Amino acid sequence: MTDAQLVARAQGGDLQAFEELVMKYQREIYGLACRMVSDPEEAKDLSQQAFMQAFIYIKSFRQDAQFRTWLFRIAINQCYNFLKSRKKFGEPVDCDEVALVAEEDSPEEELVSRDERQRVYAALKKLPPKQQAVLTLKLEQGLSYQEISGVLGGTPGAARVNYCQALKNLKKYLKSEEEDEVAMRASPTVAPRVSRR
Amino acid sequence: MKWQCALLQRWLPEYPDGDLPAFWLRRLKPHVERCPSCRQELAALKEMAQAIRTAPVADPGPEFWSEFSREMHLKLVQAAQEGRMAPARSSWWGRIPYLVGASALAALLLWVAVSHQTSRQAGPAAPQIAQPAQEKGAKEQLAVAPQAPAGEEPNSYLYVSNNHGAGAPPEEDLGDDLDATLSGMTPQQKETFLKRLSQQQKDGSCIKSYSSIFWA
Repeated sequence: MTDAQLVARAQGGDLQAFEELVMKYQREIYGLACRMVSDPEEAKDLSQQAFMQAFIYIKSFRQDAQFRTWLFRIAINQCYNFLKSRKKFGEPVDCDEVALVAEEDSPEEELVSRDERQRVYAALKKLPPKQQAVLTLKLEQGLSYQEISGVLGGTPGAARVNYCQALKNLKKYLKSEEEDEVAMRASPTVAPRVSRR
Repeated sequence: MKWQCALLQRWLPEYPDGDLPAFWLRRLKPHVERCPSCRQELAALKEMAQAIRTAPVADPGPEFWSEFSREMHLKLVQAAQEGRMAPARSSWWGRIPYLVGASALAALLLWVAVSHQTSRQAGPAAPQIAQPAQEKGAKEQLAVAPQAPAGEEPNSYLYVSNNHGAGAPPEEDLGDDLDATLSGMTPQQKETFLKRLSQQQKDGSCIKSYSSIFWA
């Protein structure tokens, strides 16, 4: 059954049809939330909230847009609100939590690739929320710039520029982390020399 | 960075197999082949995109999803039972009564505002003209109200010539400040001023167009 049919049934009050939609998109919404808030528990709550919002306002959804992009927009707004409140109240969140989930699922991964992944997660977390969203929507969800602009607002050209800028920023952050690591590794060799003197 | 590089690098994320218009593809291809900095930039962008693709958010497992579905089901059932679903957005036809009511209210408010403004403009200025002139003494009458001819406009000023001859300063417009002028004078000065004013009124150098002047 297509999205349009499921949505039409859900708009008529069919709960089961909406639950089918939830089953269909829960992984994508959860993945997006995970990327944006870097916390699996919060991501779960936020994705459930996004589905609840979609359910409450399903009757006002018009079929001229895709249900999937509408859902992404709701989820991203939920994440923005969460990030705003976290910034306001300064709730500490461990950025390694997402990486730990990944480790549990793939214990055979080598240490080097785990480190690499953690570095990518940490660098992604430094990006502004909108750039995080653009990267996730483009690279993981495979949306076109037209669809991204429908989710985030603005024009497709602006979405492309945002995407390009996000990749450049990511590279910059990864590079600065590499330099920090090099400095950390270098410092123990320097310290003994100083102490010997 | 050359301007050409800056211009073309905005399209680099889509090169060579992305959603790139043919116009830009024709320009990017030869440029990337000959420009080392753009080649380097392209390699860096591809590396970053690949880094994200190879580090996906791991699936949390079937237990997580079964719990997720169970929780969602409970929440959805509760919301449906409580009737929390928002009604469908009404169409334009459904909004017509509200639009008609709003425009009628706007018209009513406009009419009230205009009629109130009109009544204020037409009203109370005229009766105040004669009142002080009748109640005050003779000197004050000279200064205040040398009976403006009928039909003369009420809201005008009192123009008094202060000059007593050639070389004197030009005519002074006392206007509404006559009260202030008189209040700042001693009784003697006030008397002199009023005498002069009456003289000027007699010989016509005091233009007797005024509305209302009040002083104690």
